[in-house]
Amino acid sequence: MTELSDLKTLERDAFRKFYEDGLFDLFVGLMLTTMAVGAVVSDWLGSEGAGMLGMLCISALLVVLLRVTRRRLLLTRLGSFRPGPDRRRKISASRLALLGSVIAGVVVTAFAAAAYREQVPLATFEVVMPLLWFLNSVLVMGAMAHFLEVPRFYLYGVLFGLAMPLLVWPDVLWGVRIPPWVAFGGLGAAIVAVGLSKLRRFVRQYPPLPSGDVTPHGGH
Amino acid sequence: MAATSGVGSRSPSVDRLIHEPARLAIMTNLFVVESANATYLLQQTGLTWGNLGSHLARLEDAGYARITKGFKGKQPETTISLTPKGRAALIEYRQQLLAALARMAE
Repeated sequence: MTELSDLKTLERDAFRKFYEDGLFDLFVGLMLTTMAVGAVVSDWLGSEGAGMLGMLCISALLVVLLRVTRRRLLLTRLGSFRPGPDRRRKISASRLALLGSVIAGVVVTAFAAAAYREQVPLATFEVVMPLLWFLNSVLVMGAMAHFLEVPRFYLYGVLFGLAMPLLVWPDVLWGVRIPPWVAFGGLGAAIVAVGLSKLRRFVRQYPPLPSGDVTPHGGH
Repeated sequence: MAATSGVGSRSPSVDRLIHEPARLAIMTNLFVVESANATYLLQQTGLTWGNLGSHLARLEDAGYARITKGFKGKQPETTISLTPKGRAALIEYRQQLLAALARMAE
């Protein structure tokens, strides 16, 4: 009677299954890779604004793709459910963490703008900004890992967070310039590889279920 | 309460409707969520559509499950949830079974 003795595990495993498709992993990895693309486009066009705009467009496209693909992939293979109150509280908490991340992003952008206008010394900016990036990433992904109970998101928080310090600090400290496609693209590619592997396993493990339905009084 | 059975005079009664493995799987999977669609239950329990339908019908007849037909976007969708009576019955079933197992251990 495993089901009866451990209902919490049953609920957690059923919920976690919905994050085993690898799509969120792909999303996180591609977001990092997009930042590398944004930096390359900026260099190519000689315009920071164009790079930022391109990055924002690709990011928006990724969000839409994630939602549409997840819905199509999961609905036919795992179905859908409305979680209980405890799980809903945890999901809300992880969304709050994401919202906090957006606010932190605005603060960092304002900080960058201040540094650009020379209101903040460049040396301070180069030390503080990567640190803020790292802390934000670790806290947000850590909160998601904790509340959604998906441990690998802790690792993604560290990998995502390392990208900016890896880009900026070696240059500031030792004059070693690491290209953005290595700092962002390399770490992003590692997460994408995990995502692809999980997606492949998920598709094999959970084939689409035969179509059908139940009626309130038996049959189908 | 649905039909119950006891093994010997000192053994507690167990709800036979829930005691059946497929229905127990359906009940426990529904117990840990607020509601689920039929595809979710099919995946979680490994039953066929026919089996799932017939077991759900029995649970619905006993007042343990509620089956609602609706639409999600343009797609028809069947949503299933446990009623308060069904939740109480599963909790009671668990207590009865644990008590029976505890007696067996003595």
